[in-house]
Amino acid sequence: MAIIDFLLKDIFLLDLLKAAGYTLLLTGTAMPLAVALGLVLAGLRLSRRKWLAWPAATYIEVIRGTPLLVQLFLIYYALPQLGEYFNTDWLTWDKLYVGIFCLGANYAAYEAEILRAGLEAVDRGQREAALCIGMSERQAFQRVVLPQAFRIVVPPLINDVIAMLKDSSLVFVIGVQELLTVAMAIGRSRFTVPRMMVAAAVLYLVMSMACYFLGKYLERRLKVQARAELQQHHGH
Amino acid sequence: MAGNEIRTEPSLPFPPQRERPMLVAEGLHKSFGRRQVLRGVSLEVLSGQVISIIGPNGSGKSTFLRCLNLLEQYQQGRVFLDGQEVSSGKPQNHHPGRAERAAARRLRCRMGMVFQHFNLFPHMTVMQNVSAGPLHVLKMPPREAAAVAEAALRKVGLWEKHPCDPATLSGGQKQRAAIARALAMNPEILLLDEATSALDPVMTKEVFRVVRQLAAEGMTMLLVTHDLDFARAISDRVVFMDAGLIAAQGEPDYIFGQRPTESIRQFLSAAD
Repeated sequence: MAIIDFLLKDIFLLDLLKAAGYTLLLTGTAMPLAVALGLVLAGLRLSRRKWLAWPAATYIEVIRGTPLLVQLFLIYYALPQLGEYFNTDWLTWDKLYVGIFCLGANYAAYEAEILRAGLEAVDRGQREAALCIGMSERQAFQRVVLPQAFRIVVPPLINDVIAMLKDSSLVFVIGVQELLTVAMAIGRSRFTVPRMMVAAAVLYLVMSMACYFLGKYLERRLKVQARAELQQHHGH
Repeated sequence: MAGNEIRTEPSLPFPPQRERPMLVAEGLHKSFGRRQVLRGVSLEVLSGQVISIIGPNGSGKSTFLRCLNLLEQYQQGRVFLDGQEVSSGKPQNHHPGRAERAAARRLRCRMGMVFQHFNLFPHMTVMQNVSAGPLHVLKMPPREAAAVAEAALRKVGLWEKHPCDPATLSGGQKQRAAIARALAMNPEILLLDEATSALDPVMTKEVFRVVRQLAAEGMTMLLVTHDLDFARAISDRVVFMDAGLIAAQGEPDYIFGQRPTESIRQFLSAAD
């Protein structure tokens, strides 16, 4: 018990947990945003119309090719200045929104590529079979192609949820009260930075593990069919 | 039925009421880029007829079938279904507008299609596969759609498999399920694109039995096949395609027995 007392002493667990809540809030809102935006980008990129595919490809390359930290600084500091120039405060956002937006817009580029690969992995014959029973392109996509692509992309998507949990710590540069920001602040004020870093790391690990198990559970549920398929192939 | 007054030709082996042209293709031309795949293919399928298209790989058989239900857009020619023009040639890289897409959907509701690799939806049960069309396309109430799907599955002898995943079926069962999926839309004509090419002889026989039963019930069918015995046994007429053209057509005994052209002789002697 003494060792637990020692470990928990002075780490301000409640404050840390609250900050971890912010981390979850950031990831929990930015990731759905990233997947939704990524789906749009993937759809545009797969379009045969060049004027739709080209901007999406450019967005993906620019976002992937520049650091998230730079993007955060630009959105948080540069956009309001631009707003000042145009005499509007529309471009001045709350730092939490900036954090969510930046994480979402950044990860959207990666999710777009994952989703594109997933959509392309679904056999062309599936779409054709759907069209042949009279479905519209939209129905074929929603009812036939997308559900199958989803099964394929769950593992890499979960992977990115875990990556985002940790990348969300980067928003400390604009002062969102997430886990790393709070741990750092407490550590600095009480000269216990190493201990606070360990505490923060443990909390990140706990959240990551939760995501990992959630992912495993989802995969297991989706894999039941895939496994039957595999056995069928071996049977031939 | 409409064709009672039509004079019967003695050479045709089926009853006169079957003589209404169900599907007419007129001079279809199709190119992929600069490669011409169809070079003016015309074909008439009478109601209740079973027609097999045979020919070497790359002769345009499958492409022809896919042009009929607009999975591929052809550049010249016209297609009539039951006397009504349903599509016409469009230039390459033509983007169909809203009205054209709706017309293509209506057309596909009337033409069932069966693929070589079944293309069953793996994330749905057999029942969901078969009822998807009636439910989501014909907008039937769920109970009615289920009844239609059940009838289709019973027709192909697969009702007991309705709660299964397609992945758990054998090849022959998969293809029968795919046929049931097409039948559930109550099509006027069934297109089968190498429906038995991925199956072993036993499974082929299984599918063959279903196709023969459908033929006996008067279903109009147009099938592309590499299985010459199948073609010979099932068809009212056999069409031989070569290099994007119909090289010869006629009753099975004429095509397989007399081998009217040099290209057929070559093709069939290689298969012997």
